[in-house]
Amino acid sequence: MSRKRNYAMVIDTHVCVGCSACVYACKAENEVPEGFCRDWIEQKVEGHFPKLTMEIRSNRCQHCEEAPCVTYCPTGSSHYAGDGTVQIDRNWCTGCKACLAACPYDARYVHPEGFVDKCSFCQHRLKQGLQPACVTTCPTSALKLVDLNSNDGLYRQLIEGRTVTQDKVPAGTQPKLFWLH
Amino acid sequence: MTELVTNKINPNVIPHLHIWGWDVAIYLFLGGIAGGLLIISAAMILLQKGGIFSPEEQTAEYSRQIQVASLLAPVLLGVGMFFLFLDLEFKMHVWRFYTNFNLTSPMSWGSWALLIFFPFSVFQAIVVCQFSQIPRFLFLASWESTLKPYLNKIAAVNVHVGMGIGVYTGILLSTYYARPLWSNTVLGFVFLLSGLSSAAALLLLIAPSREKQLYSKIDMYIIAAEGFATTLFILGGITGTENMKNAMLYLIAGPYAPWFWILFVLAGLIIPLVLETLEAIGKIRFSPFVPLLVLIGSISLRFIIVYAGQEIPTFS
Amino acid sequence: MAQVNRRKFLKISSAFLASSAAGLGWPLITKTSKAQGIAEPDRIVSTTCEICFWRCGVDAYVRDEKVYKLAGHKDHPLSNGKLCPRGNGGQGLLYDPNRLKHPLIRETVNGKEQFRKASWDEATSLIAERFGKITKQYGTESVVMFSHGFGASFFKTLFSAYGIHTFSAPSYAQCRGPRSEAFKLTFGHAIGSPEGLDIANSRYLVLLGSHLGENMHNTAVQDFSSAISKGCEVVVVDPRFSVAAGKAKHWLPIKPGTDLALLRGWIHILLKEKRYDIEFIEQNAVGLEELWQGVKYATPEQTYAITGIPVEQIVQVARDLGRYGSSALVHPGRHVTWYGDDTQRERAIAILNALIGNYRMPGGIIRQEKFTPIKATLNQEKFKPYKADFPVTQNASHTFQSRYPFASQVPANEIVDQTISGSPYPVKSWFVYGTNLIQSLGNQPATLKALQQLDFVVAVDVLPAEITGYADVILPECTYLERYDDLDNRTYRTPYVAIRQPVVEPLYESKPGHEIARLLSEKMGMPDLFKDDIETYLNKQLKQMDSSLDELKKVGVLKVSEKNLYRQPGEALQFKTPSGKIELASSRLREAGFDAVPQYQPPPENPPGYFRLLYGRAPMHTFGRTANNRVLGELMPENELWVNQVAGRDMKLKHGEYVYLVNQDGVKSTTKIKIRLTERIRPDAVYMVHGFGHTDARLEFAYQRGVNSSDMITQLSTDPIMGATGMNNNFVTFTRS
Repeated sequence: MSRKRNYAMVIDTHVCVGCSACVYACKAENEVPEGFCRDWIEQKVEGHFPKLTMEIRSNRCQHCEEAPCVTYCPTGSSHYAGDGTVQIDRNWCTGCKACLAACPYDARYVHPEGFVDKCSFCQHRLKQGLQPACVTTCPTSALKLVDLNSNDGLYRQLIEGRTVTQDKVPAGTQPKLFWLH
Repeated sequence: MTELVTNKINPNVIPHLHIWGWDVAIYLFLGGIAGGLLIISAAMILLQKGGIFSPEEQTAEYSRQIQVASLLAPVLLGVGMFFLFLDLEFKMHVWRFYTNFNLTSPMSWGSWALLIFFPFSVFQAIVVCQFSQIPRFLFLASWESTLKPYLNKIAAVNVHVGMGIGVYTGILLSTYYARPLWSNTVLGFVFLLSGLSSAAALLLLIAPSREKQLYSKIDMYIIAAEGFATTLFILGGITGTENMKNAMLYLIAGPYAPWFWILFVLAGLIIPLVLETLEAIGKIRFSPFVPLLVLIGSISLRFIIVYAGQEIPTFS
Repeated sequence: MAQVNRRKFLKISSAFLASSAAGLGWPLITKTSKAQGIAEPDRIVSTTCEICFWRCGVDAYVRDEKVYKLAGHKDHPLSNGKLCPRGNGGQGLLYDPNRLKHPLIRETVNGKEQFRKASWDEATSLIAERFGKITKQYGTESVVMFSHGFGASFFKTLFSAYGIHTFSAPSYAQCRGPRSEAFKLTFGHAIGSPEGLDIANSRYLVLLGSHLGENMHNTAVQDFSSAISKGCEVVVVDPRFSVAAGKAKHWLPIKPGTDLALLRGWIHILLKEKRYDIEFIEQNAVGLEELWQGVKYATPEQTYAITGIPVEQIVQVARDLGRYGSSALVHPGRHVTWYGDDTQRERAIAILNALIGNYRMPGGIIRQEKFTPIKATLNQEKFKPYKADFPVTQNASHTFQSRYPFASQVPANEIVDQTISGSPYPVKSWFVYGTNLIQSLGNQPATLKALQQLDFVVAVDVLPAEITGYADVILPECTYLERYDDLDNRTYRTPYVAIRQPVVEPLYESKPGHEIARLLSEKMGMPDLFKDDIETYLNKQLKQMDSSLDELKKVGVLKVSEKNLYRQPGEALQFKTPSGKIELASSRLREAGFDAVPQYQPPPENPPGYFRLLYGRAPMHTFGRTANNRVLGELMPENELWVNQVAGRDMKLKHGEYVYLVNQDGVKSTTKIKIRLTERIRPDAVYMVHGFGHTDARLEFAYQRGVNSSDMITQLSTDPIMGATGMNNNFVTFTRS
């Protein structure tokens, strides 16, 4: 599929402090109701005192290339947008939750008004040439939105010399959150 | 030692997936039993030209059991679908299932297939049940007479529709490869056979005593097959990827293990199988306790699989 | 007393909740329903945040006269377009249903004390009348103002004009005071706030207890992240595996209370191995030999014995400090009132920084200044129109004299003591602006005792808090999103001046501080004190900066580029110390009878079965001030008690269970706290985030969630040098009933 843009996110776990500014910014920007979130923090500590390691990440929808939510959505509500993101058309959603069962990342929630909701990479902001709310507010600059189809070199520059991983690769979803270690 | 902390608050996925509950479990049970009833009734129509088992009941062309089975199949399926509807979060948008067809979505297939094939089960019920003999259903007479010549063809379709419904209840879950307990190809067969055995058990329960042995035998064979399928289901799980193995261990050795082994395997499979075998060889007399156990085992299976399947993290 | 007021307030609050449920709904959630995109804001207003005291520039997004989103202001040097979690949730304060809505006056009806709603006129008249009486009888020195926050300036103007001069803030003796005094003693100037530290360019950063990333000062964390990105090596000295420790090359889980020993050990190695910046020290410092004599016996082996840190790690860090030299930084921390040796510990940090020669060097201590255009054109007389022409109405017969020789501000705890003892002169009235003294001072019994002895207490605040329950008059201030404040013209690496302006109209009957101060000035007989309205006042100042209120309202901030952060090669340095040089051994401390070179005194040990109580911050909360913020509280509604996995099991504690705490003095917590068994803390200490466990039922969300660390801090280890109250010499154990 040829697309003009193909947005992805590069997240630097070295600098993320898990402050949750991204979560609050997202909730305000996207009017996410109380008790739900589109992005969240995961903090993993391994080892035994005093030999410990920690990884912190700000997680969200992976906007997969092979998105199971799109595969399983009976109505076409979950769909690939032309910019490489996965979006939900609220007018088509029946709230059957097939997408929630299908998503290996548990990135979705059921909005109290009935439709399913998740991170949109702030598509409405992207259209205005702005960055997603989480990326904008992140005090550590851990979050970076990149356009994989662009030749601005940003993606290359960010991953230069770093270990890059994706989540749950065996799920075959080709996720588009890239974690820097 | 790993300490994992998250501030994800979505109740649908925290602490684990939590989207489908009793209503979906009931649907899976009702769908399974409806599929089973349709298979048995349609098969009997095809094989035996119903009525043969009840030569005394001259008034009925078809035996009471075939009539009940034919009638219950669409009714239970309808009730099941209603439970599925209850589970929809955006009920006003239910019509959206029919403004799109997604080739890769089992749910899309299911909703369209239901639309197309549900009438066949209704047709069978109209002909078999002879509603037109009841005054207030007189208006069905013309339908009945129109459809009657095609009954064998309808039944032939319905055998497959029944199979489809039975397997579909399993497929609905087993295609979610993100949920390793569900993601097991044998699950469809387990559900199909469980639905069939429940249907046979139901018929066994209502059959006149002279026919009980027949349904008991049918049930016995199906349960034996179901036991075999369940074994494959478990083996498929524990010999699968680490992901699937952990999920299967969670089921057979985790918090759901007592329910799985006692309610489903022991009460729903082994005890009925033994008792029905003893019945078949004439060692004991029929007891309504046996089909009830089968039904309880069948409904427990749906609940256990629906709940346990949501509790296991995926590809972690 | 607070008990009495509860019922009435609950009534008001639930009425509000009912009406909001029936009407608009929780104002933060607008019904977008089927909308795909998000509606545009009606306007975006740039202002200054006050969810903490860092004062970032924020853009407030308004739709239908509701603030629905806050984002970092792009040009503000403290936010750089970014915002911490707390700032992102500021609307939760604005729309807090438990806000103080109108003035309240305590009265006694049928022997029962209660608050009743009052008009502004009545409330301010009462304050003026009572202050009049009290100052007449006991002198103006008997009234003390406590404050925390930027909005206090108008009240300081008011009280100064009235002859009241005792202003105290817990941010001094309960927080940063020792750091200021130690750096003044060493370098002749304080490190400032925001700190004059070039963290972003540090190549080797040592943090002691400072938990950047959990302590979420926006720019500091931006700088920290920037340093890590550039490969800065981080060393974290902390009994707890903090987030910063998770980023560190070395985590040194030090025995609590022994930090000064570790610092002395490092100084010892730097000197012994001559790894310090010899040239810089020769030119700019005095007392090197005395310093060496002072740390001569602080060998790595001895340091290990005290701190529990392996010798190799001690030595390695010291050598790294020497190797990185001027590009390394030993961070002095921020909340540093720990063990009573705090000024000396901060002195040791200052000495270390001096030794590696990072003074005014990239990655080290930098020079900060104010927005220069002010300096250039400022006419002092005109610049302070409130104070300029107004003579002080009364003269105090006493001025506050701290018993601690190096207290440059008024230690709040000393006022408490003085209120109780009445000597050397009586304190009869407190005016409390925006600080919940009951939670912030520690040794709560003393604060409560003092409150009982006061004739008159006034509290100005946005939300009810434990302290407002003890006030005679409560004045509801509107939030920072509803008011003007003074210009923020602060000392920073990028000099700037920023505005705080109203984004929306004040809710309820609340008023901005400047208006409250003006009302009070009229009642207190100084009607001309605030003769300009606030906009004229601000505009006058801005005119002198070749700007105008209109401009600043639009752009939010004016700034000039940073300069002279670093010293030039060969630049002669002058320090405002008695010797004019960096004082490695402090002559002023020596003269006052203290150790000129920091000496280590062991802190009290854990009683058997007790754990040392440590506390800190979470990124989404500012002390107790945000505990009732429903937006922020969503992700952290309560605090947990971190207990070492093994130690906790020994105590038969279960992960996730709720327990009461009992401290070494037998004080039991009023609420329960959730146990978090973790590998991330030493077995001899426990940790909680400060600011929870509110006992004022009017804070309906925060009420009784978690435990308030201050409840357990009954032992204050007072720093003899400047009066700071060390709070970490308290020990707790657990009880289930």
